[in-house]
Amino acid sequence: MPIGILAAIGLACGLIIYLVYIKVPQKVKGLEKTEEITSILPGMNCGACGYPGCFAYAQALSQDPELVTKTPCSQVLQDPDSLARLEKALGCKLDAAAMCKKALVHCGGNSEVICDYSGAPTCKAAAQLLRGYKKCPYACLGLGDCVEICPQGAISIDPEKGVAVVDPDKCTGCGLCVTECPQELIELVPGGTKIAFLCNYKPLKNIPGRERCDYGCIHCRKCFNACEFGAIEWNKETALPEFDQEKCTLCLKCIEACPQNTLADFTKLGKEKEAELAAAK
Amino acid sequence: MSNLVAIFLGMVLINNFILVRFLGLCPFFGVSKQLGSAISMGVAVTFVMAIASLATWLIRNYILIPLDIEYMNIVIFILVIATLVQIIELFIKKTNLGLYFSFGIYLPLITTNCAVLGITLINATQNYSLSSSLVAALGGGLGFTLVLAMMSGIREKLELANTPKSMKGLPIAFIIAALLGLAFVGFSGII
Repeated sequence: MPIGILAAIGLACGLIIYLVYIKVPQKVKGLEKTEEITSILPGMNCGACGYPGCFAYAQALSQDPELVTKTPCSQVLQDPDSLARLEKALGCKLDAAAMCKKALVHCGGNSEVICDYSGAPTCKAAAQLLRGYKKCPYACLGLGDCVEICPQGAISIDPEKGVAVVDPDKCTGCGLCVTECPQELIELVPGGTKIAFLCNYKPLKNIPGRERCDYGCIHCRKCFNACEFGAIEWNKETALPEFDQEKCTLCLKCIEACPQNTLADFTKLGKEKEAELAAAK
Repeated sequence: MSNLVAIFLGMVLINNFILVRFLGLCPFFGVSKQLGSAISMGVAVTFVMAIASLATWLIRNYILIPLDIEYMNIVIFILVIATLVQIIELFIKKTNLGLYFSFGIYLPLITTNCAVLGITLINATQNYSLSSSLVAALGGGLGFTLVLAMMSGIREKLELANTPKSMKGLPIAFIIAALLGLAFVGFSGII
């Protein structure tokens, strides 16, 4: 008997919800577009776009379609099909390659190891002790916290240089590695980036390239002078080159000119090692 | 009348849901970082508490007691509250979008809030009349909102304070909660 009553009340509750769902008229207009956009979005509620969930993001998009270029959904950008549907829903053209962010590790590795580290094999633990065991306090420790967290398997550790390398083709720009890295080395750069700058050494006084690391920027301006297209600006405050991706023709003269190998071809990052492995097989 | 006032004050201060009965502790720490969202949560809880008290009072007095199956209070109340919150959410979404967005995520979160189940069970064990149940629910919700607002106000100020690194965030919030609880112990035994 009690079971019967419980079942009856349960059924009645379900019925009432169904009736409310069917019978109460949809008085509010304006949600259609939001719901249409929500159906396109991945629905993972990851929050990478900066909004609390996909529905809130869709609501913001329905009010201002321009937002999609500022805070794009990295999952949609990976999928041409849903990207096309989003373009249709918002009524604007989206350049996926330019909007898609990619992670870049700002370190070329090869900073001298100054002591034997035998503690817990994570970058976080190692960074607690005097900012790591490498001569350069801003260096990538290469213990692979970012490799662990990357859902795409886009990050690998270069065993020779002891540095994490992101493969831009696999990276979806979710930004998980950016928050994971204790050295704050990883940055999300626009997908169309052509030249990667591989140094994170911050103080300007003692130049790291000469004494701390074979790959550090020594602020020599050779890349700035080598560029024939005016694609490199010299930032006087940080004494670092800044790259204009639109003017860059990928002639690679700056990479040749760099005496420290601080610059690299962004599109080929993470590929050399794979090619070597493939050749070895 | 004086009876109702006693129930109301007892629910707001003396038997405060969070600090004395220790119910609804998840939103107490989860939604108490900003004053605005804390108050939205408090209002939503108060609203659901009142409606849930009304519905469960009716079900208890017209179904459970006549059939003598009061031992099934908890399971039936859970069912009723969950249904109720779903209906309210659907209804608000279809009729008043502004209200829907101001409640936001808080309304569905309340489905499984123990403070809401708590008020219905307290009403049942105390054998409150309909008016007493409603007053108790309003008082409980108000007390909940009050403590949430106090906590979020303090935590907003704490963000700017020079807290030791190891105490930042939740640890200091726990200490604040303990001090608040200590203050509310002072009310005990008044009525």
